[in-house]
Amino acid sequence: VSGRARPPRAAERLLARALAARDASGSVPGDLHEEFLVVHERFGARRAACWYWFHSLRIAARFSAERPSGVGVRETAKGDSAMRLLVRDIRHSGRALLKRPALSATVVLTLALALGANAAIFALIDALVLRPYRFHDVDRVVLLAETGRGESDRQETVSPANFLDWRRHWQAVQHLSAIEWWDVNLVGRDEPERVLGYHVSAAFFEALGMKPALGRPFVADDEIRGRERRVVLSHGLWKRRFAADPAILGQPVLIDGTPHEVVGVAPQGFDFPNGAEIWAPLAFSAETASVRDRRWLTVIGRLPPGRRLEDAQAEAPVIAGRLEREHPKANKDRGVQVHTLAGGMLDIGLPPILSLWQASGVFVLLIACANIANLLIARGSERHREIAVRLAIGARRGRVVRELLVEHALMAALAVPPSLFLANAALEAIKSGMPARLARYVAGWQDIGIDGRLVLFTIGLAAVTVLIFGLLPAVQASSKDLVSALNEGGRGGAGGHGRHGLRRALVVGELALALPLLVAAGLSVLGTNRFLNGPQGYDPDGVLAMRVAIPEAKYPDAEARRQFTSRVVEGLSRIPGAGSAAATNILPAVGGNMGRIPEIDGQPPPDLANAPVVDYRAITPAYFETLRIPIVQGRRFSAADREGTQAVAIVSRSMAARYWGSESPIGRRVRLQGQEWLTVVGVAGDVIHDWFARRNYPTIYTAYAQRPTDFMTFVVRTSGDPSALAPGARAAVRAVDASQPVFDLMTMRELLRNRTIGLQYMAAVMAAYSGLALVLAVVGIYALMAFLVTQRTHEFGVRVALGATAQDLVRLGVGQAIRLSAIGVVLGIVLSLALGRLIEAGLLGVVSTDARVLAFFAAFLVVSTLAAGYIPARRAAKLDPVAAIRRE
Amino acid sequence: MSYNAVDMSPLHLGEFEQMVLLAVLRLGSEAYGVPIRREIEGCTGRRVARGALYTALERLEDKGCLRSRFGDPRPERGGRARRYFTVTPPALAALRRARTSLVNLWQGLDRVLEPSK
Repeated sequence: VSGRARPPRAAERLLARALAARDASGSVPGDLHEEFLVVHERFGARRAACWYWFHSLRIAARFSAERPSGVGVRETAKGDSAMRLLVRDIRHSGRALLKRPALSATVVLTLALALGANAAIFALIDALVLRPYRFHDVDRVVLLAETGRGESDRQETVSPANFLDWRRHWQAVQHLSAIEWWDVNLVGRDEPERVLGYHVSAAFFEALGMKPALGRPFVADDEIRGRERRVVLSHGLWKRRFAADPAILGQPVLIDGTPHEVVGVAPQGFDFPNGAEIWAPLAFSAETASVRDRRWLTVIGRLPPGRRLEDAQAEAPVIAGRLEREHPKANKDRGVQVHTLAGGMLDIGLPPILSLWQASGVFVLLIACANIANLLIARGSERHREIAVRLAIGARRGRVVRELLVEHALMAALAVPPSLFLANAALEAIKSGMPARLARYVAGWQDIGIDGRLVLFTIGLAAVTVLIFGLLPAVQASSKDLVSALNEGGRGGAGGHGRHGLRRALVVGELALALPLLVAAGLSVLGTNRFLNGPQGYDPDGVLAMRVAIPEAKYPDAEARRQFTSRVVEGLSRIPGAGSAAATNILPAVGGNMGRIPEIDGQPPPDLANAPVVDYRAITPAYFETLRIPIVQGRRFSAADREGTQAVAIVSRSMAARYWGSESPIGRRVRLQGQEWLTVVGVAGDVIHDWFARRNYPTIYTAYAQRPTDFMTFVVRTSGDPSALAPGARAAVRAVDASQPVFDLMTMRELLRNRTIGLQYMAAVMAAYSGLALVLAVVGIYALMAFLVTQRTHEFGVRVALGATAQDLVRLGVGQAIRLSAIGVVLGIVLSLALGRLIEAGLLGVVSTDARVLAFFAAFLVVSTLAAGYIPARRAAKLDPVAAIRRE
Repeated sequence: MSYNAVDMSPLHLGEFEQMVLLAVLRLGSEAYGVPIRREIEGCTGRRVARGALYTALERLEDKGCLRSRFGDPRPERGGRARRYFTVTPPALAALRRARTSLVNLWQGLDRVLEPSK
């Protein structure tokens, strides 16, 4: 038996207190201690601790429930111990709950739904925003960023020359490391594959506190130009492509046509950033190392022991000031920022969405609490006499309130396990909806789930709800003056107007909270539908797309790339069932973009630091035909637009409007950042490249044959099912180059769906939450109306006896419901308008609060409450007046 | 309601109390909480809640059926002493009476109550 093992101290103290004077020597905890050691030996510390807690609580409960008997009863001076009181209260409330099973079940279920909705959101926020990275000592990793010119709150990437200076100067941050995107074609032992990789500085792994599972991290030597063809593989890639072969170290693997030596394998689970699978040293050429005015590096570093984030942040202005003095041209008015890793890497689109969800969750919770409070107040009315009698015979008010609170707390406690179950189901649904190829870019996605923090959060939230929904009814139920409560008995023990006023206010509040939720949900559903199915400027149906990146090593010059592309396009158009085929550097609805600053012939040259860019596309002749983008003026490209002929361009309608106004751009000349002049030969219709930032954005198209790129997307149109062309498309690439991997092979429709996945989530979650809110609000108003009508049964009977018709009574009941819903809806409209900004931000600014949507849902709510008021009124009107009057 | 003339003792023992007393007797000088519970569970095959046992021990001591003394503090009990129980003479007498009553009642019923084979 290990002498070290100790039972949980809190449980020990609790047990000792519960036994108090009845076991002053501690023989009972002693026995339990003895047994605990045996359990500890057999089943380990964790189970033993649980075992101890369980049994100490049971013994404590038993002792508290059973008063010491017979001679020598040792009652404490104060009377009952707190423990015994609590146990007695819990028993008492358990019985009270069981007496009204339907009510208790309703409360627990309502609460479970609301808590579950909030738990799910907390799990998302926790995994994606608060703790997206879980590696060791992640708090010490920082992200260093430049800020935009004169915009100290805009985070920007870093230029190589600035990074190299930073690395020399920073004191409060060490292991500075730059990260550069490097998407690679990997040819290993079988099929060629596209792998996500990064070029990283030598200190990268050290900055993150990562030690390779195999081999070594990068060292300074790897950064020397010419020695950089070395890689570290991710654990997953090593297992998948190299069968976890330990002899891989020192072996060459073929990447983008050149052999790279494997120097290390990362530990399992390490995939920073963005689910990276391969890392190579970032070695700047002398030319790149001096670049200061272009910024594409992400820079991380590590706080040395003893330094805090604040120290680094204090140093940032010093670094920025120094660079501004030494290189004023590139660094004027630019600052330096230090972020935590989680804060700095956060996708800017995420917080607005999550805060909208969080607000929705809080609204649902408030509505649920209002509903529950309403039910409890109604029940309080029933129990009013019982409580009044108890108060009259000497029960203390505090005691009654405490008992009711314990009862409410018990209901909240009962709601916690089902709420976690619901949250888990919701999170599973959310996780399964996200394609794996997108999920890996979302840091923390795989960590979404139920954990200890979430359980604690939910318990805490449940406790808060007890205060929200439980305190009011408890105080209400015990505060009324006794005499009137005892006297009032006859009329169903109902309370006076004050109580009903409170209940009405609660229902009005529910409606007011439900409306903004419904509006937000309506807007996101409409918005998402528009993005998916609205006009795109091109025809996404019947198109298959795939991406290819041809390595420079194998296709070193323009001619080789031109050859490759035209042969693949030709192969694609020969697939049986295929129509036209084309290639472009960037396809709409695909992540990524290329922009250029245009210089217009006859207009002053642009200021390169500030001029707006236009989207830049290099396309093959059949592109417009394949995507069905209309040419509104001039002509398309043709096979005649090739190297050596006049350099041509086609501009989008919006670009024509931006640079030439109402004049025709045909025949005018434009030049992209110092390259040759291009003559505009046509104007194309606008397209929606990206729903969030690039809608109908000015775009310039150049002829691929005149300026080939090494990165392209092929598209092929068919009249049938585009996904049926996939094998043919793969074969078309293989026929040209068998070692060339193809990726993102999917239909344009799938691309669109993937591109808008965030919004689809948005819409689905908002729809679920607002649906929940709607149901709760309508149930709330129905319960209130049914209750009020029952209260007025006697009055209704009198009215009928005096000549009122059934219609009059229904009107009376419904009128009341309409008055309440009108107030609620008016408040809801005010709230919707006030929250409009949050909703719009959450929807990434793509929809704005729409008066029609608002009006529709306001009317919808009024009609729903009308129905909720009609049913009980109708029932009351049908009652026999004699029976109604007799009913007391 | 008439009382049985035989049962004039101030001590009446419930079934569980009898079990506890018998277990204490069986264990002799080693009768403290942990083995008492094991003994009852072992002989009867039923689960005994610790709380039920400790409150029963307390009750029996209050009634004068048990006496207890403390052993030395032990490290494996967090420095606490064991509480050893012994059965008092009145309790022993009560147990004997209970047994006699039962044996008397059993007589002649062997064939009726024999477990069916």
